[in-house]
Amino acid sequence: MLLKRVVAREGEQVEFRDGKLFVDGKEIEEPYVRYPCSWNLPPRGVEQDGIYVVGDNRNMPIENHHFGQASKKRIMGVPLW
Amino acid sequence: MVKIRYLLIGVLMVIVGIVIAITLFPSEEKRVKKQFHLLSEWVSKSPEENAFTMLQKMKNIGSLFDAHCELKVPDQSLSGTYTREEISTYAGSARSHVSKLDLKFYDFDIAFPEKGVAKVTITARLTGKSTAGEEMDETRELECLLRKIEKKWLFSQIEVVEVLKK
Repeated sequence: MLLKRVVAREGEQVEFRDGKLFVDGKEIEEPYVRYPCSWNLPPRGVEQDGIYVVGDNRNMPIENHHFGQASKKRIMGVPLW
Repeated sequence: MVKIRYLLIGVLMVIVGIVIAITLFPSEEKRVKKQFHLLSEWVSKSPEENAFTMLQKMKNIGSLFDAHCELKVPDQSLSGTYTREEISTYAGSARSHVSKLDLKFYDFDIAFPEKGVAKVTITARLTGKSTAGEEMDETRELECLLRKIEKKWLFSQIEVVEVLKK
């Protein structure tokens, strides 16, 4: 089981530019990310019934971080606070 | 009063009998889980491990696999059918690159689609340190197929499931 943050939903476009997250071309404020990163990821669409998840710990190369698109059916729970 | 005492003794004996039966004859699910616990134990490595233990563990790892096992691990370019000897050798080679290794399994989902076949979906977490001092922490979902051969559940297929697509 993985603990990740949902950053985009089906039909939305996700992108990273110099470590900043963009959804549908709009920069997303992410106060929960403690350490800056310099990730770059070209835009990609979230498929039907999909979600895009990213972890908060981004002080590692983008290749080593497990994030991406998954089926909504894989959601097992939500935060309680 | 005497009747109640005999009744209580009888009930107690039945409970003890059930506990003994469960312990001596574990369910198929428990037998399958045990194979994962053994795999976890034998893949894991402590920094103090000596050459004799290493060789013994390599041999033991092979004994958990079917004569031919299909592996689908795209990240490691490990896809195809391998003999248990090849798997043992590969495991030994991989373990030689780490000073500490810990393999743990979580979220067991076991199904028996047909007699003598167990399909297990599971989360595997591999943590450790390479001989170069680099920390490792990998979590993957696995789909495994085990076949019961001569009363032993053996791994005959292991596939790493792509949960997240970048």
